[in-house]
Amino acid sequence: MANSSLKQITFKVQRYNPEDSNPPYLEEFTIPSSRGMTVLDGLIYIKENLDSTLSFRTSCRMGICGSCGMLINNYPHLACHTQIEEFHSNTLTVKPLPNQPIIKDLVVDLMPMFNVHKSMKPYIIRHDTKETENPTAEFAQTPEEVNAFLQFTYCIKCGICVSACPTSASDKLFLGPQALAQCYRYCADSRDDGQQERLSVVDADHGAWHCHLAGACSEACPKGLDPALAIQLLKRQMASQALGLRRKKRPSPVVPPLTETKPKVPFPEFTVKDNR
Amino acid sequence: MRTTRFRLVHMLAGAVIAVLLGIHMVVIHLDSILRFFGANTANTTSWQAMIERAGQGTWVGIYIALLAFVLYHGFYGLRGVILEVTTSAKTTRIVTWTLIIVGIVTFIWGSYVPIALLSS
Amino acid sequence: MKQTKPRQNYLGASGWVWAGNYKLERYLYLLHRITGLGMLLFFLFHMIETTFFRIQGQSMWEATMTLLENPWFEVGICLVAVAFVYHALNGLRLLLQEFGFALGKPTPPIYPYKDSLRRQRPWTIAMVSVVVIIALVFLIDIIV
Repeated sequence: MANSSLKQITFKVQRYNPEDSNPPYLEEFTIPSSRGMTVLDGLIYIKENLDSTLSFRTSCRMGICGSCGMLINNYPHLACHTQIEEFHSNTLTVKPLPNQPIIKDLVVDLMPMFNVHKSMKPYIIRHDTKETENPTAEFAQTPEEVNAFLQFTYCIKCGICVSACPTSASDKLFLGPQALAQCYRYCADSRDDGQQERLSVVDADHGAWHCHLAGACSEACPKGLDPALAIQLLKRQMASQALGLRRKKRPSPVVPPLTETKPKVPFPEFTVKDNR
Repeated sequence: MRTTRFRLVHMLAGAVIAVLLGIHMVVIHLDSILRFFGANTANTTSWQAMIERAGQGTWVGIYIALLAFVLYHGFYGLRGVILEVTTSAKTTRIVTWTLIIVGIVTFIWGSYVPIALLSS
Repeated sequence: MKQTKPRQNYLGASGWVWAGNYKLERYLYLLHRITGLGMLLFFLFHMIETTFFRIQGQSMWEATMTLLENPWFEVGICLVAVAFVYHALNGLRLLLQEFGFALGKPTPPIYPYKDSLRRQRPWTIAMVSVVVIIALVFLIDIIV
């Protein structure tokens, strides 16, 4: 099999050392790249062979952990999910995700995003404390009820949607598409009864209504979550609540215990006759 | 649900403005549009035509309603844009109250003029 | 090693204008904002013209109308008219989509991902085409 040709690709990586007072600057590295190499492979090559002080986050290298979000050629991608060849260019610019504070080089501080996510109360809230503390059985949920929020459960908390959002760029107090989509994921879950607590958090000045449907979050999301759809459905819930049109739905009940069992199937005949 | 209610009124005002401002634009600029299609109409911005419109209660009603909705929709939108670049609660309060006061004053002055011309 | 605070990395208001090669809806949002603020600015001048100048009598009114017959003002009012048409039609699209009516239901994500705005893009492009056609009608009328 012929060797895939090795091209020399230039990576312009943004460097920033918090211990010195220089502002961030771009440093160039040239790496040999072949077909199938991802941007993460390129960064690992740089760290192993060219400059071991380069800092970046990586873990699963298969697009499921959400660690390696970066701004590659001015668009947020997961570095492990992005082929070098897809840019059709010999130069790539790699910068850390915008709208999140930079710790060092390509590592950003995601704690602000996680704190906002926590303020959305991202867990099932029910008021029947006896059942939640001492569970007896599972909660009943039809496939249709699951499909109403299933798409929004795939969030890997990579922060790419927050980097893409134009409102998050200027509004430091904006909750962000990640938190708002997860707020809807729990409000739409039929097992949950905590809409009142969550809606009072998003119905603020810098809450869901500062989303203006630019759609960049859904476009950039690496897992196809469509946070824009979740936020607009959340707005629908807020509007129907404000107009008093919302029917109070009881949360999913516990599955009742089985009252009748099916008749026992008789043991089948032996197919191999015993010759004794 | 306060913010949601304000926002719903903002959207309703937008829809109403689309209708009322459409009427206003068609009446004032209809001659340019008709001229494009070859017809020719009288000048709608002449003093005579303006005084004639100012004497009709329907037009005065439309103008005052349009003014109210435009002030609400425009200033609430402007407040949203300014809040997106502000973090402090004090600045938010100052901006909100300034816009409310300017809006009320503009509405009072802006509806006084057509009513004065109606009765004259 | 001294403890340092992470460096702020917000794009700021320039993040509204250009932050990458995003698709249509992001730039429609920017244009919606620009047309809205532009019309508000025009409204300020229009209020002055229709209140202070109108109430001063016929000679003042006719002097103002003569001033406004300048071709630059004609182009300006044409731009305001186009801005209104765009802002109204885009606003109508936002009114439908912001309540989730025109966006469709959540679907499990199967690669290649098609988000709801991308699925509705043909309608969005149709709306933008209507605006462009009306803008051309107004502009041709000014030039000709």
